[in-house]
Amino acid sequence: MPARTPSPPKGLSRRSFLGAGLVGAGLALTGCGSLGRPAEVSFYQSKPEVIGYFDELLARFRDERPGVRVSHDVTSDLSAGFARGAPPDLGCSNYNFEIARFVDHGALSDLGDMPEAGRINPDLLPLVELTASYPGRTSVLPYSLMAAGVLYNRATFAEHGLEAPTTWSELVEVCDALTAAGVTPIYGTFAEPWTIGQGILDYTVGGLVDVTAFFEALQEQGADTGPGSPVSFEKDFREPVERMLTLVGYTNADAAGRGYGDGNLAFARGEAAMYLQGPWALTEIAKTSPDLDVGIFPLPMTDDPADRKVRVNVDLALWVPDVSPRQDGARELVSFLMRPEIIDAYNADNLGFGVTTDAPPVTHPALVELQEYYDGARFYLGPSQLVPESIPVHNYAQAIVTGADPGEVLRTLDADWARLARRS
Amino acid sequence: MTRRINVPVTAALLACTLAVLVPLYVTVTMAFKTTTQSVDGNAFSLPAPFSLDGLAEAWRLTGFPRAFTVSLLVTLVSVVGTILLSSAASYAIARNWDRRLFRWSFFYLLGAMFLPFPVLALSQVRLTGLAGLDNPAGVAILHVMFQLSFSTLLYTAFLRSVPAELEESARLDGATTWQTFWRLVFPLLAPMSATVGIFAFLASWNDFMMPSLITADPALQTLPVVQKIFQSQFSSNYNVAFGSYLMAMAPAIVVYLFTQRWVMSGVTQGAVK
Repeated sequence: MPARTPSPPKGLSRRSFLGAGLVGAGLALTGCGSLGRPAEVSFYQSKPEVIGYFDELLARFRDERPGVRVSHDVTSDLSAGFARGAPPDLGCSNYNFEIARFVDHGALSDLGDMPEAGRINPDLLPLVELTASYPGRTSVLPYSLMAAGVLYNRATFAEHGLEAPTTWSELVEVCDALTAAGVTPIYGTFAEPWTIGQGILDYTVGGLVDVTAFFEALQEQGADTGPGSPVSFEKDFREPVERMLTLVGYTNADAAGRGYGDGNLAFARGEAAMYLQGPWALTEIAKTSPDLDVGIFPLPMTDDPADRKVRVNVDLALWVPDVSPRQDGARELVSFLMRPEIIDAYNADNLGFGVTTDAPPVTHPALVELQEYYDGARFYLGPSQLVPESIPVHNYAQAIVTGADPGEVLRTLDADWARLARRS
Repeated sequence: MTRRINVPVTAALLACTLAVLVPLYVTVTMAFKTTTQSVDGNAFSLPAPFSLDGLAEAWRLTGFPRAFTVSLLVTLVSVVGTILLSSAASYAIARNWDRRLFRWSFFYLLGAMFLPFPVLALSQVRLTGLAGLDNPAGVAILHVMFQLSFSTLLYTAFLRSVPAELEESARLDGATTWQTFWRLVFPLLAPMSATVGIFAFLASWNDFMMPSLITADPALQTLPVVQKIFQSQFSSNYNVAFGSYLMAMAPAIVVYLFTQRWVMSGVTQGAVK
């Protein structure tokens, strides 16, 4: 028996292959790692539809300012970035509860001293404050605003001799007339809870309740919210929710099983006359019927036409984290993005309303109907957006439209609000 | 002799097969549709006209070659690292079971199975940030760590079935512990290494949460994280999204097709022993 057997060449080669592979991959990864912190301004932008658009804008910025390096970030996890102390240098994201937490905790720097802050439409400031604020700071600059109402098929309306309703009674008449003519008045997509919350619920509540005052009082009231408190969902949302159920009666029979994609398709094919969605649905509808003549009117909830209001949300807002070491570069990019020709072009291309005092009116054939409401500040923030995400308000709305007792659901909402206020 | 068919079992298996094949069929056909056809509400139709726009757009939006390379490197390191580290650990543990230190270290490793990543996410994010590991290398290391407990469990069970006499003969021939492991035990572990490797591959290749939280530089993100851009509430570009899913899925399916023999044999070996 030989003292040492020569090792089999096959095993050796496999082993060295594995070893080489591991070492190689390890080196490659560490190599990436050392380059992992770019000394450039990272621009975070969260809206998937406009990644290409902002890519082009950044390319323009690079041409103009070769001295400032910028990178485009569409995948970062904001919470992890802030936890690590290295968030993106400039954010351009939907102004919702995710970013509201960072505003409330003072993690965003004050942009109030920038000349661009002075150009923001003052009517929007209460809306920004209502979602989140930090004392003495302009934490975010609105960039794009979306105004939403009822999308309606102009051809269908004309065919049946109808006009966009201006009062609640007219709305009911229109629905009755369409039903009598065999047309589905409203297309419901109740399988997807968010379509109920941001649509029929927000529109009915926003048309009847002073949303800003209601939520300010509710925040003040906090843990005392409940039966008998000065404001409560149970009391103040009762009438809107009942009217919402009236409208649900005019939706397609299979609404409970239809989702957002089905709704876009059905409305594009003219299967219903009205569709309670924001302008984002216009792009989707155009995928099927590019030439459909769509109009938008605010859902009338009272019998006074002057009470009509549109639902708005700050679709994009700019913010610079306090801890960012590249404030100057980030601010320079803010100034670039806020230039009238750039911000106005963005809003015109992406169905947004301008947020600056110098912004031109919208030109999109569907959106023009909403301009007067925006100009007159006759708008409200979607109530479903003002309820913290830990309260499943969209699912509650879904429960109501699919048959749950509204009073009970609204009492649950009050209890949730009070519990959350007690905890925080 | 007549072939007897077990009808209920066959029917159940058929249903299971369909549950896998139908979504796969939708993924493949959807990837080759035009945007207009992809939203027409008929997921099962064949692409007409046949279009590569979705794939091209997905390729461009995700920066496919780069994300794919990062994913591949992370997966490679985590598979190789998992196999080497856990087989060595298992060998040490299985052959020193009578010593308390080794027994307890086995329980210690198993304990990690009950700590899911989300629980540790915040501390891991901060720690990797401080250690300069907020990049794919850190992700790969963490993948190895999180695979370690389950893989050690599999290896240890398998090692108990390897006769100790084999090792004794190697010892008699003058082999050191390292040589015994490397020349004798590790090759014997090959079927289990295949199983462990496949599990590590799938876990690492498909992972979303860890790379999304740990990797700081968006340019070094893995494929599943980059694909997040297709998950939008307000718009549905199914053809682009599915095109990207198809490209990301392909390697996993190909790997499985070639290695399923070992997956099956490895799983049963680990289970019985």
